[in-house]
Amino acid sequence: MSGGVATVPRSGSEPAKSWRTNRKLDQWIAFWSVPFFFNLFGLVFVPLSWMMPPRSPSSPTPRIVDFMHSHNLLIACVILTLAYGLAPVSNACYLMQVKRMSVSPAFRYSMMVGAMTGAIVGMLFPMFCFGLGAFRPGYSTAVLTMLYDFGYLAFIGSLGCFCVMWMAFGLAIILDENNILPKWLGYYTIWQYVTELMAAPVWIVKSGPFAWNGLMTFWFAMILYVSWQFIVYFCIFKAIKNQPESEFA
Amino acid sequence: MTSLIRSPLTIVWAFLTTVTIASSFISVDGGGAHQINTTVTTVVLLIAAVKAYLVIQHFMEVRRAPLWLKLTTSGWVLGLFTLLLGFYFAGV
Amino acid sequence: MTDVAEGSAAGVDESVVDARGHVPGESSMWFFVIGDLLIFAVYFVGYMYFRSQHQDLFLQSQARLNVDIGAVNTVMLLTSSLFVASGTAAARAGNSANALRAWAIAFAFGAAFPLLKLFEWIPEISAGLTPGKNLFFMYYFVMTGMHLCHVALGLVIMCFVIRNLKTSAQPKISLVETGATYWHMVDVLWLVLFALLYLMR
Repeated sequence: MSGGVATVPRSGSEPAKSWRTNRKLDQWIAFWSVPFFFNLFGLVFVPLSWMMPPRSPSSPTPRIVDFMHSHNLLIACVILTLAYGLAPVSNACYLMQVKRMSVSPAFRYSMMVGAMTGAIVGMLFPMFCFGLGAFRPGYSTAVLTMLYDFGYLAFIGSLGCFCVMWMAFGLAIILDENNILPKWLGYYTIWQYVTELMAAPVWIVKSGPFAWNGLMTFWFAMILYVSWQFIVYFCIFKAIKNQPESEFA
Repeated sequence: MTSLIRSPLTIVWAFLTTVTIASSFISVDGGGAHQINTTVTTVVLLIAAVKAYLVIQHFMEVRRAPLWLKLTTSGWVLGLFTLLLGFYFAGV
Repeated sequence: MTDVAEGSAAGVDESVVDARGHVPGESSMWFFVIGDLLIFAVYFVGYMYFRSQHQDLFLQSQARLNVDIGAVNTVMLLTSSLFVASGTAAARAGNSANALRAWAIAFAFGAAFPLLKLFEWIPEISAGLTPGKNLFFMYYFVMTGMHLCHVALGLVIMCFVIRNLKTSAQPKISLVETGATYWHMVDVLWLVLFALLYLMR
């Protein structure tokens, strides 16, 4: 009777009751918010506003100004302002499983703080910067250029917070004696940390493979990051599913 | 410790070290520091490939590992150095 | 054919292990090793590609590197790897004392690497050769920097292995082998870096 799948009622028994009394409901809600949130995020950043893939740091000023004033950027920022709150929920997914691990709570707290600071700097700041450009039409070109730099640097250069988060998560998985998540995932998460480190050069160069839109710092890091993101949630899904009911006192 | 000196591992190490020093000399003396030198580069990269292969086979004990591991690691050495030499010669 | 350096007759019969096709250490570490090799390979090929776009720049910049320290560091890592390999074989043969000694020597050689690196980097940075100087130096500092992080992690792992060899009556062979595998990977990566950054023309 342990580890039943949450959303499908067990055949034969009363379906409505099973759904509501599912002990893992909180985790499943958190989990399923993730694809919703990420898809929204993806839509907003890419086809809607073309914030992503990152525009060139050495773009000529008129292009920067046009981008900052674009109508789509305005809509993107509105959506982000509303949806931003889902970020903590998707992180809660990780934390609930890390809680089951045999490692010290210090790992969990590091992840939490890393996620918080990372989300503020990596998501909220760019949202403000691009939002300012979109919502307040009166700024001078110099200010807009600064906001553009600020927004992108915050988005891609905010590596420190995520470094801590991924290192804590990776180490927690590797050291965990309860084997909540597979060891290879722990190592894969260490690579997440590495991709964050790879982003450090963006502060220094404005063109070439190490700029914030560069082959090494952005595109290659994205390949590692996107694949990791899918895989980690797949593993979290399995972990939630296999979590024995007996753990819920 | 004498058994260490006679061990096959040490023979591999001696070869690796010798070849490292040799390739350093080839690089510094063989080509002017400011010019493209395809011979030096090819020799140096091939030596590096051999070194990597030997460390993987002997130190990492892949020589006695299952076939999939042998294929993967050897494939890495082969693929990497093919690409490296390929891009080098394509750009020269 | 046996690779057991210590040749202890009372130890594990290595030929039996041969027949089974032994994967040294945890397979999750091999996942990491292979993945890391692939990630660095992308960096290496990227470097070669961009080099072909900026031949002169790369050549002129390479001339400023300290090949001597690079070569010495290569030998440091190779020697360290030798002692790791022999120490691992000793641990498997049940010879904890020799294993401990070998790993300790390996640690000493390994620790020389970051030290020598400092002697290499500090003069370079003082001379204005920074990551921001040009694309070559960006690649140089990023790649050797990432590698140095790997070395640091490897030294930490070595400490755990040494502690295990020192304090346990029966050393955890899988830990020893896993640590050894990681360290050899660090060595392999450096072998390629040395050729690409310091030696090639």
